[in-house]
This record gives sequence, C-alpha cells and structure tokens, in this order.
Amino acid sequence: MIRTVDLKKSFNNPDGKLEVLKGVTEHIAKGEVVSIIGPSGGGKSTFLRCLNMLETPDSGHIYFEGVDITDENVDINLHRQKMGMVFQHFNVFPNMTVGQNITLAPVLTKKKTQEEADKAAKELLERVGLIDKINDHPARLSGGQKQRLAIVRALAMEPDVMLFDEPTSALDPEMVGEVLEVIKDLVKTGMTSVIVTHEMGFAKEVSDRVLFMDGGVIVEGGKPSDVFTNPQNPRTKEFLSKVLY
Amino acid sequence: MSFIKVFQLIKNYWKIFFVTGVSYTIALAAITVFFGAIIGLIICVCRMSKFKILKGICAAIVDVIRGTPMLLQIYVGYFLVPKLLPFEVSEFIAVSIAFAINSGCYLSEAFRSGIQAVDVGQMDAARSLGLTYGQSMKSVILPQALKNILPALGNEFITIIKDTSLASTFFIGDVMTSFLVVRGLTYLTFECLFILAVIYYVLTKILTFFLGKFERRLKESD
Repeated sequence: MIRTVDLKKSFNNPDGKLEVLKGVTEHIAKGEVVSIIGPSGGGKSTFLRCLNMLETPDSGHIYFEGVDITDENVDINLHRQKMGMVFQHFNVFPNMTVGQNITLAPVLTKKKTQEEADKAAKELLERVGLIDKINDHPARLSGGQKQRLAIVRALAMEPDVMLFDEPTSALDPEMVGEVLEVIKDLVKTGMTSVIVTHEMGFAKEVSDRVLFMDGGVIVEGGKPSDVFTNPQNPRTKEFLSKVLY
Repeated sequence: MSFIKVFQLIKNYWKIFFVTGVSYTIALAAITVFFGAIIGLIICVCRMSKFKILKGICAAIVDVIRGTPMLLQIYVGYFLVPKLLPFEVSEFIAVSIAFAINSGCYLSEAFRSGIQAVDVGQMDAARSLGLTYGQSMKSVILPQALKNILPALGNEFITIIKDTSLASTFFIGDVMTSFLVVRGLTYLTFECLFILAVIYYVLTKILTFFLGKFERRLKESD
C-alpha cells in the first residue's frame, strides 16, 4: 500500500545541515499495523510526515497505492484525502464546533454533501463517546477528548491508511488509555495504520510489525514478539533496555 | 481662555466643528482603514508568497513608508497623485490615497504576525485532510488569524482618527481644518483648541468603548 524507496531528508539549522532521514526503504502492506519506535531525533516523525508529503523528501520515492506521490505533477491533495493523520498536539480546529471539525474536509473536498457528512459525523462521534459534545467548541474538551475528535475527523474522510504521530505523547497520563482504546478498536477493523509511539506495551499489543528507527535509518524491524524480546541490533537492545523496565 | 467664549464659539460655529469637521475626519479615517486593510492584505499575501521579486518590492515599500514621516507622505500624495492619474481627483482623495498606503503598510505587518501566530499544526492538520492551501487558509487559518488581527485593526482606526489632523495642512475639511478656519475668523486660539481636544478625545473614547465590547465578545466565543 505504501512503499518508500531510499527516502532522504535534511533540515537546515544554524550549525549547518541536519540529515534526519538517511535513506529509508520500507513497505507497508494493506491491512498491516506498523509501529515505529526509537529515540527522539531518530527520524520517526519525519518519516511519518513524509508519507503524506507534509515534509517533502530531498530524494527518494514514495509510492502510495501504486502512484509515486513525490512526483510534482501528482495532485497530492487527492492522495492525502485517502491518508488520515493524527498529530501529537491534536491540531483540532478551535474556530469550529466539534461537528464542524469533522464535516469540514468531506464537504470541502466534495466527498460528501453537508447532510451526508453530518450523518457520518454523528455516527463517528457516537463511536468515540463524544456525541453530546457535537455543538461545543474544542476549547471545552479535555486532551483525550480532543485527540478522539482528531481521530474521527481523519476517519470522516474514509481513508485507506491512518498515520499516527505520537498520538498520546501530549496527554495527561489518565487520558492515554481512552485514546489508545479508540486506536485499538480502529485497528481491529483492519485499518492499515502506521503508528509512531513511545507506548511500548501498546506497540507490542496492536502491531503486526515494529520498526526501530535511530539515526535516520530503520535499524531493525520485525514481529513485536521478536523485536521486543529478542532484539538483534545493539542499538535496539540499548534503547529497549532503557524504556522497558 | 474663557468658557463663555467656548460656548459662543460652539453656538456660532457648531456646524463647522461638529458637522463638517467630524464628518470629514470620520470619513477620512474610515476610508483609510478600509482601503488600508485591502492594501495591507495584498502586501501581506505578496510578502508570504513564493515570488521573490514580489516579496522584495513589498518589503521595500513597507520599509520606506515606515521610515519616512507621515506628513511627508501626505505631501507626496497631495502633489503626486493628481499628476499620476489621468482624470481629475479632489484633494480629499489624493490625501486619502496617501493615508491608505501608509496605513496599509502598517496593517500588513499586523496581518502577517496575526497569521503567523496561528499554530503551524493547524495548517498541517488541514492539509493532511486533503484540503488545498487556499481552502486551508480560508476555512482554518484566516478565521483564527482574524481574532489576532481585529484588535490591531481597531487600534489602527483610533490612531488614524488622530493622525487625520495632519490632513489639515491641505485644508481637507477635517476637525483640525475647522480649527484653522474658526481661529482665522475669531482669533480665539485656545478656545478653539479646547473644543478640538474634546472632539478628538470623545471620538477616540467612543471607539475604544465599542472595540473593548467587541473584543470581549470575541473572547467569549473561545
């Protein structure tokens, strides 16, 4: 479903160029749930943001459903409509109600009429237990509720794949569970998902495959049972020994 | 200064002060802020665009306008605008254009910082849903930026009300012009100045009051 070939990306910073991705080649199959773990600054989020071209890679290719979306002649907006994304800081739209947050994109992209979108929004909010907030503004929601809203906002576009960029890192500890529950339920429906996370237990439980990223490359990847219990690479070992206690 | 004379002045010249003067001042300020906002928006969009030449030109214009006195710009407007335009323009319009350009340059900076103050994550989220840059700007970024910009726009209006007094250099008809006229007729300098101060003060107070109310209403919707 998503295939990347030798992705490279650098950022300019005051000390010169910082190479964040040093050639990432990876394939995410349809229906697969892939978690990406690793230390901060290892390139996890940048890699994820490249997958829907929020970051433009310096070189390399990204094939999404067979189309090279790094090609400048491709209308990236059409492909992004099929890729939902959930952010660390929720990024819900504060100037709209909860309902409007969800219906905005389906209506603007002419995927649905306002009536269809409203109906779908109600079903989605029902699913994540936010139906009574439909007319509130996001300012009145808790962090966990905002993130659940952000998830159903992405789902309203009926995407083929969901990208999660540290969905629980900005949450108060007692709200992590409710968000992970929603993601778990979603994954059970067979949604192809790529999840950047620091929640090791969660990654172990939901993923079909775990990738360990460090220093701009995928150091190691495989079944969660293998990576977590029997890591091969010394860097993976070191990282896991620090986070699993 | 005697207050009896102030009342006599008001009685005899109220039309010049309160009708002609105030209406010209408010008209000039309103026109300035309205067209200034449009000019400011255009400059702001140019400065945020990818086109380097356009960016450079706009940056240079803003730089020059901010680095020269407003009175000088009004002079330039007064003498230059009628020469540049193929049709006849009134002095009022020539001066208004100078005011609007000046105001536009200051407002463009307010607009730019208002837009940049919106969290970058908002644009990420909008684009990730498949919206175009334009759709994201219109539905997500600009409505949020507007809240940051409106107070600056209001303050600009108040500043302009006071700055329009500079237009009296060319006897445009504003409140300050009415001072020049009435003083010329009566030689009651301080009485006239007193009336003027009250007019400007009341005008800006009324505006401040309504702006405060408006801002409070904006905050409530958060």
